[in-house]
Amino acid sequence: MTCVELQQSLAEIEDGSSAEQQHHLRSCSSCTALVEELALIISSAPELIEADDPSPRVWNSIEIALRQEGLIRSQRAKRPVISSFGARWGWARWMVPAAAVLLIMAGTYVNRRSSSRQMVNNIAPLSTPDVAAAGLNDDELLEAVSDQTPVAQAQYQDNLRRVNEYIQDAKMSVEANPGDEEARRSLLEAYQEKAMLFDMAMDRSLP
Amino acid sequence: MTEPRQRQSTEFNEAEAIERAKQGDAEAFQALYDRHKRRVYSLCLRMTANTAEAEDLAQEAFLQLFRKIGTFRGESAFSTWLHRLSVNVVLMHLRKKSLPVVSLEETTQGGNEEDTPKKDFGADDVALAGSIDRLQLQRAVDSLPPGYRTIFVLHDVEGYEHNEIAGIVGCSIGNSKSQLHKARMKLRDLLRMNRAGKAGIPKQ
Repeated sequence: MTCVELQQSLAEIEDGSSAEQQHHLRSCSSCTALVEELALIISSAPELIEADDPSPRVWNSIEIALRQEGLIRSQRAKRPVISSFGARWGWARWMVPAAAVLLIMAGTYVNRRSSSRQMVNNIAPLSTPDVAAAGLNDDELLEAVSDQTPVAQAQYQDNLRRVNEYIQDAKMSVEANPGDEEARRSLLEAYQEKAMLFDMAMDRSLP
Repeated sequence: MTEPRQRQSTEFNEAEAIERAKQGDAEAFQALYDRHKRRVYSLCLRMTANTAEAEDLAQEAFLQLFRKIGTFRGESAFSTWLHRLSVNVVLMHLRKKSLPVVSLEETTQGGNEEDTPKKDFGADDVALAGSIDRLQLQRAVDSLPPGYRTIFVLHDVEGYEHNEIAGIVGCSIGNSKSQLHKARMKLRDLLRMNRAGKAGIPKQ
């Protein structure tokens, strides 16, 4: 067996234990060193450093998608919608009052809807310009993630589309049933979802 | 004497978490995610050597898992199911990027440079004796061509057998063994070059 043949045979019998391999190894220090070094690599492989946890945005994206798809059907574990902003004020400080205004406007919209059946037809629904005025503009979110990978950007676009659909569905439910507590709660949750999406986008874009 | 009040366990066991997740329990989903996130992410990172891609792929793997959780019957371990699904997600991604998952090349014949016994760089000075620094090994793995890296991670790091790898990536068992051997040879070269560089030994 030549050195070349020995190396090729290691693909099948990696520890050099066959009779033919052993015969060659007894007289070839280079191939003996090769077998030993490959064995060292093999034994070290399972000990490779395990990565740290993925960033929080991974779970946030998963949770949003599961809620949009209706796979999460129970109440979310209590956590502040904009908790992460408290830890990272910086230039994103403006987001906190903007998100609060959005939620207040959502609450006002919901309360107006439920207060009087007669007023239902006279009150204009919360429109896109109102949302924009609250400081949570879809274009700004997309710009905030524009430096992410195309896959991540597509995910944000998809999540944004889904949460806007969720908001529209919830608004229609409130319009159809102004006195329905569940419908109103769904609408508030929908706005919370959108605020959370902005939360994630800003969180990821911060250094 | 009163019996001490039994403390209510605040932790799910996995079987319970799975059943609750099937019912749409948000905490159950998160518990399952928290329990397995590091291993899934590590697998994705080792196979892609890119943190952003690894996060996206880990996210996709968990989403696929949770969408199918209603069909999980417990015949195999949940972690095995998740792990296999994660591998498939990564491989699909590599295929979409037109990266070779496994080279179609079978064991080479004589005359090819790869078949020539490597010239040692100052032999004993850079021999991989004793132990290998894990960080250096990780960097060497990250430097492997994607096809070699896939096979090495699946077999030597994650413990898949060749027949399993062949089924997952769509190659023959012989090809899997051949590619693994080449991956290990390449790693050996990278590690020796790294040591030679640190020892200031010029290439011959």
